[in-house]
Amino acid sequence: MSLKDRLSRLVGDAATTGEAKADPRQATMRELRDRIDTLMRRRERIIPPNTPRASRDAVPLGVAVAGEEVRTPHGKFFMSRTILNADDVYGYRRVRDFACPSMPAAAFLTGHQAFTDMSIKDGLFLDTETTGLSGGTGTFPFLIGLGWFEEDSFITCQLFARDFSEEGAVLRYLSEMASGKEFLVTFNGKAYDINLLTTRFILNRSHDMLAGMPHIDLLHPSRRIFAHRLENARLSTIESHILGVRREGDVPGFEIPQRYFDWLRQNDGMFLKDVFEHNRLDIISMASLLKYLTDLVENSIEMENYHHGDLLKLALFLHERGDVERSLRMFESLIMSPLPDVATGARRPLSIIYKKMRRWDDAVKLWLTLAHADQHDIFAIEELAKFYEHQTRELEKAVEIVRGLLENRGHLNEIHCTSLEYRYKRLLYKASLKEK
Amino acid sequence: MARVSLSEWLARAENDRRFRENATAIRYIDASDGSFAPYPQWVNPLLQEVLTDRGITKLYSHQARAIEFVHQGRDIVLVTPTASGKTLCYNIPVLQRIIEEPETRAIYLFPTKALANDQMTEVHGLIRELKANIKTFTYDGDTPDDARQAIRKQGNVVVTNPDMLHAGILPHHTKWQKLFSNLKYVVVDELHTYRGVFGSHVTNVFRRLKRICRFYGQDPIFICCSATVANPKEHAENLLEKDIVLIDESGAPRSAKTFILYNPPVVNRELGIRQSAMTPARNMMNDLIGNRIQTIAFTTSRLNVEVLTKYLKDMFRGRIPDDHYVTGYRGGYLPNLRREIEKGLREKSIMGVVSTNALELGIDIGDLEACIMVGYPGTIASTWQQAGRAGRRTGESLAVLIAKSNPMDQFIVENPDYFFARSPEYCRVNPDNLLILLHHIKSAAFELPFEEGEMFGKEDLMELLAYLEEKGVLHRVDQRWHWAAENYPADEVSLRTISTENVVVVDTTDTGSHRVIAEVDWESAFTTLHDGAIYMMESQQYHVDLLDLERKKAYVKKVDVDYYTDAMNYTNVKVIDDFDKKIKNDIIIEHGEVQVTRKVVGYKKIKFYTSENVGYGDVDLPQRDMHTTSYWFTLPWDLLNALQLTRLDIVDGLAGLTYCLHHISAMLLMSDIRDVDWCIGDKSGEWYVRPGNNRRVITTSPTKPVSVMDNAYDPTVFIFDAYPGGIGFSENLFDRHDELIKAVRSVIASCPCEHGCPMCVGPLLEVGPSAKHSALKILDMMMGP
Repeated sequence: MSLKDRLSRLVGDAATTGEAKADPRQATMRELRDRIDTLMRRRERIIPPNTPRASRDAVPLGVAVAGEEVRTPHGKFFMSRTILNADDVYGYRRVRDFACPSMPAAAFLTGHQAFTDMSIKDGLFLDTETTGLSGGTGTFPFLIGLGWFEEDSFITCQLFARDFSEEGAVLRYLSEMASGKEFLVTFNGKAYDINLLTTRFILNRSHDMLAGMPHIDLLHPSRRIFAHRLENARLSTIESHILGVRREGDVPGFEIPQRYFDWLRQNDGMFLKDVFEHNRLDIISMASLLKYLTDLVENSIEMENYHHGDLLKLALFLHERGDVERSLRMFESLIMSPLPDVATGARRPLSIIYKKMRRWDDAVKLWLTLAHADQHDIFAIEELAKFYEHQTRELEKAVEIVRGLLENRGHLNEIHCTSLEYRYKRLLYKASLKEK
Repeated sequence: MARVSLSEWLARAENDRRFRENATAIRYIDASDGSFAPYPQWVNPLLQEVLTDRGITKLYSHQARAIEFVHQGRDIVLVTPTASGKTLCYNIPVLQRIIEEPETRAIYLFPTKALANDQMTEVHGLIRELKANIKTFTYDGDTPDDARQAIRKQGNVVVTNPDMLHAGILPHHTKWQKLFSNLKYVVVDELHTYRGVFGSHVTNVFRRLKRICRFYGQDPIFICCSATVANPKEHAENLLEKDIVLIDESGAPRSAKTFILYNPPVVNRELGIRQSAMTPARNMMNDLIGNRIQTIAFTTSRLNVEVLTKYLKDMFRGRIPDDHYVTGYRGGYLPNLRREIEKGLREKSIMGVVSTNALELGIDIGDLEACIMVGYPGTIASTWQQAGRAGRRTGESLAVLIAKSNPMDQFIVENPDYFFARSPEYCRVNPDNLLILLHHIKSAAFELPFEEGEMFGKEDLMELLAYLEEKGVLHRVDQRWHWAAENYPADEVSLRTISTENVVVVDTTDTGSHRVIAEVDWESAFTTLHDGAIYMMESQQYHVDLLDLERKKAYVKKVDVDYYTDAMNYTNVKVIDDFDKKIKNDIIIEHGEVQVTRKVVGYKKIKFYTSENVGYGDVDLPQRDMHTTSYWFTLPWDLLNALQLTRLDIVDGLAGLTYCLHHISAMLLMSDIRDVDWCIGDKSGEWYVRPGNNRRVITTSPTKPVSVMDNAYDPTVFIFDAYPGGIGFSENLFDRHDELIKAVRSVIASCPCEHGCPMCVGPLLEVGPSAKHSALKILDMMMGP
């Protein structure tokens, strides 16, 4: 019997298994597969009409996607290049409007001063499409999308390995492109794309240009600044809510690996048309997002142009980075915000900055405002109690304010209660000493 | 009463007439002097100084030979007893090389995390004293994410286990570039544990490891250590597929030990029933621990751990300082609790522990004085390892093996010379089991594309690659096969069991806060967590309210009842293909591929202490199928009819014969009894025999009993490998058919019982009154004139 027959029987996918019933996991798997199949069938109807169907003849890649074969000494591959002109509109903006992000602002966002002296012309935007998300050596980045600014235009250049054998040539070409640039811009590239490419360089025994390059990863600041008002911090979510980009018939990310496997088996370019477009838009969105974020940093005092919640998150972010001066100015304008959450959210860190600067009057004013707005504001009340106890030494005032809160303890959790009670007892003891 | 020491205890036991009657052998293993050798010239003076400061002024002869071979670049396997300084045999060459070339890397592999932790402590100590900048790290499932990157880049010695190598390291080898580019040594400790299914997987993990090393231009030296097995060199060569030098003469001195084989007394001669092995175990433990002699008991099942622990806790209630004075220990206890127990043993705050073989390997629990084995652990190597837990360094120690009432245990205690003289079992692996091989080919392809003409395993790799290409997981281009699927193949297979699934046990006693108390592997869940089962954990009983297989959860509540439960399984085998056939005395003997169907149909409630059967329950769980290999023989009706037995007698006789055959097969194969299983039926899978509530019935389905076998095919007895795809036992049994049948006949014929007992054909109440008589007639017929 052939190996294949023996295997088919062992794994139970031939008729030879007879009337045997599968175990529950197999049954569950089968059920799951059926459910997925049903889902896939249902989805087909809402996929745009140009999506490939099995019945249609295969469309050559060069017809489905604008591009051409590139021949290099290390092999050939397929490349698609597009230009967005300065006046082209992308989401809410023209390309010209996002062609000049402030590099000092980028330095603030990343915490790396070196970016201050770099030029956006030397930045390489990068995003990959891969055969899976699990990571590890068996995940293949088949499409590497690159982008950069030339004058006021934005160029995208996508390197595509038509099969596994073209990877070596793609990687060499990528290295050459990268050697002409100074830094990288990605969205989650630190954890994903660049790691993956490093793996591929090792597997292909070629030199890894990318690993050491300065790198602006937009994911982290975006998550910090926008996550409070978005369902998630994915690029697609950010671009539709913040950048005003609407994608028509976009291919969902989870479908992309299968599109490539289908292409490998059927050589039909229509499988990839949407994947190239998806990747191209991701790169342009990164460029637009970089500009949005750097503008936010640059113009952070101009409250009217931005969401106050975003500004508050940015101020907190900069405060954490140790940029006290800038965050102080931002908090001072944000306490005037008509949004109560933002105003309150700004008062607390601002009061701490004042406290550190020993600007007691300003700090007390903020704490009183907070306590007035919410009589259970334990942060403000504790700070006031500390102030009366240690600064003005008005123990009675401190006792009274803590007692007031403890009488309303229904709103407090256990840890707060314990710490307050402890403070209360200590204050009473101190007060009794003073009386003696 | 004044306490007695172990030697006084022993003297008293030996003078006790009843004890002497039941002890089938009392052997004294004398202390022996060691044989020593100086450090070789090339050993770094600083390293030598640190070791000398630790009191190691010279080496045992085997250590000197081992490090000399490694120094010459040879792969070695070292087979010497517990506490003979094996770790030095790899620590010296590895540390030496790192001192000479600081970039050097080494991997230490241990079968369990606990052993890896122990080893870390030892290496750390040496390095600290060396004051060298050598970094060692454990890398396992518990390693925090933020530490991983540093370990990958900086770790000179990475201590891990095969599972982690399989699923965490090899599939990410590029992140470990530094390690693989400088990998000079791979240390494989407890080599004998890598046998059977696990060993077959691990062999493939080594194939993948060597493949990755080749990619980075390395060819590391393998340093292996093993407990005493019959074929250490062959086993190491099978596992690593390399030539290996064997070092098996220990130069280490040995402490004195008394080894007793104990057969519990016969309590009912007519039924041939011996006292349960648990009874003397309980009494000896009670007596030893009562005298503050620290004792470990090993039982053969998790259930018995709990039962014996409960008995002991009952006996010590009111007399002991705290609840952990005697305790259980087994897989399924959460890691923290286990660490606590290990510590308690080292610090002697725990004086008695009842364990499964989980404590058999080198986890550091200090030096215990006595070891009681309740039932033969299944292999001679395990028996010596368990016995070795007592008295690693103390002057005198005791090991007692108490036989249970089954043919294998009885054979061992009644034939002491076999036990003491015989070199222990053979380790076997079948790395080319198609299912196992295929899993690892997938993982290997994920790690690096396969190239035309590459070798991996003994099957035709190109054909397997073509198969995987057809299945759509590989893509071929220019004579290379690339991984072309989204998933991560190493996650699909666990090295230790067939399934990666676990069932978690949720305690719902406190309705407000549900608590996970244990995890049970998928296969065991069917027999220990079915609805209505009593699950025992640290001698607390829990009633299983619901087993939710879909969500992989079992919901339990604390109860206090006087019984435990034992699941009833039925098994049905159908022949798919016969590989070979021979005919002897008109009996057809074959081996080949079969389909096995198993189902848990119900359970028995068994009362504590009396072991009475106090009730039954039904279980409705899905059946499980597997393909495996089997050895079987078919007895034509014409021959059986000529024996002048009734049909029912024939069935009972076959059942008795098979009961014994199953045990003797496991013993001859030197495998765990659970690695092989049995069934009586016919080759078509139309009918089979199973025990009913009262007696044996022949049936065509689990619910429909049929009382006769008219129209049925000729009866066939199957002994099959209990792993999908088989593990290579069946062909061996086929070849040794005559030897097997002869041994079975001798065990049954020489048993002193009248009508059959658990020591020969099985418990009388289960096999029926004529089983012994009929079995002997059938065996005589099989052996011919």
